[in-house]
Amino acid sequence: MTKTVHEIYLDHNAGAPVRAEAAAAISRLIAEAGGNPASVHRAGQRSRRMLEVARAQVASIAGAEPRQMVFTSGGTESNNLAIFGAIGTAARRRKIITSQIEHSSILAPIAELERRGFDAVRVAPDSDGRIDPARVLAALDSETALVTLGLANSEVGTIQDLAPLASVCAEAGALFHIDAVQAAGRIPVDAAALGCDLMTLSGHKLGAPAGIGALYVRDFARIAPIVFGGPHEGGMRAGTPNLLGAVAFGAAAEAAMSAMAAERVRIGSLAASMLARLSEAIPGLRLNGPIAGRLPNTLNLTFPGVLGESMLIALDLEGVEVSMGSACAAGAVEPSHVLRAMGRSVADARSSLRISLGWNNTADEIETAAALIPQVWRRVTGAEPLAEASAR
Amino acid sequence: MRRRVLVAMSGGVDSSVAAAMVREQGYDVVGVAMRLAPEPSGPIGKRRGTCCSHDDFEDARRVAERLDFPFYVIDLRADFAARVVDNFVIEYLGGRTPNPCVMCNREIKFDRLWSRARALGADYVATGHYARIEQGADGRFHLLRAADDSKDQSYFLFTLGQDELARTLFPLGAMTKTEVRARARALGLVTADKPESQEICFVPDGDYASFVERQSDFAQLRPGAVIDRDGRRLAAHTGVHRFTVGQRRGLGVASGERLYVREIRAESGEVVAGRREELDCAGLVANRISLVDDSIAPGRALGVEVKIRHRHRAIPATMRFDSGRRAEIRFASGGPAVTPGQACVFYRGEEVLGGGIIERAIAPEQAN
Repeated sequence: MTKTVHEIYLDHNAGAPVRAEAAAAISRLIAEAGGNPASVHRAGQRSRRMLEVARAQVASIAGAEPRQMVFTSGGTESNNLAIFGAIGTAARRRKIITSQIEHSSILAPIAELERRGFDAVRVAPDSDGRIDPARVLAALDSETALVTLGLANSEVGTIQDLAPLASVCAEAGALFHIDAVQAAGRIPVDAAALGCDLMTLSGHKLGAPAGIGALYVRDFARIAPIVFGGPHEGGMRAGTPNLLGAVAFGAAAEAAMSAMAAERVRIGSLAASMLARLSEAIPGLRLNGPIAGRLPNTLNLTFPGVLGESMLIALDLEGVEVSMGSACAAGAVEPSHVLRAMGRSVADARSSLRISLGWNNTADEIETAAALIPQVWRRVTGAEPLAEASAR
Repeated sequence: MRRRVLVAMSGGVDSSVAAAMVREQGYDVVGVAMRLAPEPSGPIGKRRGTCCSHDDFEDARRVAERLDFPFYVIDLRADFAARVVDNFVIEYLGGRTPNPCVMCNREIKFDRLWSRARALGADYVATGHYARIEQGADGRFHLLRAADDSKDQSYFLFTLGQDELARTLFPLGAMTKTEVRARARALGLVTADKPESQEICFVPDGDYASFVERQSDFAQLRPGAVIDRDGRRLAAHTGVHRFTVGQRRGLGVASGERLYVREIRAESGEVVAGRREELDCAGLVANRISLVDDSIAPGRALGVEVKIRHRHRAIPATMRFDSGRRAEIRFASGGPAVTPGQACVFYRGEEVLGGGIIERAIAPEQAN
């Protein structure tokens, strides 16, 4: 769709616009490199050097050593590698523990493992989307191969307290995987301090193009590869690495890292002012997720009396881009499984939108969006009141 | 400020070209595909496409990409189930033969979708229907047959009143199907040579009886007997929903003469069979009358042409409606078989005056 209006992009949790630093890194790579980083010749050596610089940059947003970072095609592949890689080394153990509010790239591999005879435990969150570590502990036993949990929830932004889990997982002999896709680069993330075995990162949430991710692997001996071929990525992920993606990811990670302290405050206050403006203009507006202990950029809001689907489209036509739940194969939006797990009704889930800010949003944009959203809400409630919109 | 049009896109050639036409006319076009029917179920490979299949949505999306306007899939499944499918099942269980396309137009495309259109800031809803809307010098809107008589869909649109017509666009009304396909090809639209959809979209296999059985409780079915005009039992049957007036096959009667369903009595489960000539009627009673031309006064007999099935030709008749939204229609000469539940639409020449749902036939001996 050709750009016809000024678009205010408020869907950074789905994917951020490419940062200038990432674009510059891609241009530089195209100009300078050109070899396979696994090759012996000097072109290969140049590529390899750039890949390793990127690896170190990416490692820095996760508190990891560069040698512990495996480049993948993105968050979904990293999560698949973590899950299938973990069960690949746990011959006897048949149980996986996760939560009900994880991303589909966690829930779908686990559902597949259930079809293959594994047991899955999906811990329920509280009404703010917090996972009680005690519930994870209650399910943990000597049969458990893997515990996998998100550090910050993509839909509501709730940040989990996962630090207590590493030692108990280790005692039980289970691997501990953290999906840090939404957290890394936005809040300080330290894989070593969290004590996890595996951690997923994604490039395009930070301003790299889609198609590049990474998996932190504390000890390569603990998981088995799922893609076989050449000796790339320490034997953990065969296939010539996506060098363009990797250098962009590295540059985006470095930019996010150096701006993080200032951006947390800036974006946090933009989101707070947006929430204040909307709460004032829209009686009955509800914030989903906790007041504190949340990503600074994410607002999940239930708009009273409207279908989120209508709000989403109406806002898009006004140039404000937000999201809702997840799209089905047909492209229609389905109510969020995260909100349902938090105890919200289907009706409330259908009335909820996610607004997620990021590096390129300005105070002016937030001002404009905060004025437009209530106008659109009033128009939609007037034209299509929920009693009529019986899709509930 | 350009006027915004919400175009209902099915993924077929007609709605694709309708979108292209309003785009050319300078409107701010927003395309939507409505998710109406439940997902097709059954084993992979045996699923038949419906008008709401993913492939059709993808085709609509590609047309929108090609013509460069925004496109969305909207979920109206709950509305469709409550307002169209339930009615379809209830009508069949009551021994009538419903026309769900009439219902879908009235309840979904020109009511529910209009609410969505206003929510999205649109001024009009456009569809790929073959019919024309003209505004007279007095400001009143007229609903007219399509230029292409073989594609005319005005029969399905009689429920549109003045308010609906004022906010509706039928960009294909003046075009023939051949012209529509040629336009689609010229624009490079992927839908240009797609075949017509024929079946009712939520019953893609065409087996209405099985659909009704799946959608209802066993206790709601009305089994009974096929009888002749003198009440003699000819055969047993498993439910009145399996019959439609005028139907010949499936009576389960071994008889020397050809028998047709003449009447369905849902309460007693009786299906009355008769010879072809016994189907002829003097007229009919229709209810839920809706007038496109709201200047027509109740009580007065009005000469019209009436169409009682989409594929039938309109025949001369006299129509008189009362304030209770019921009408009595007398055919000028011997009329065809009348099927309760179908739409009965009044025309005057090219123009649709209104219509209703057929309640019952008026037998020849009752005629004055």
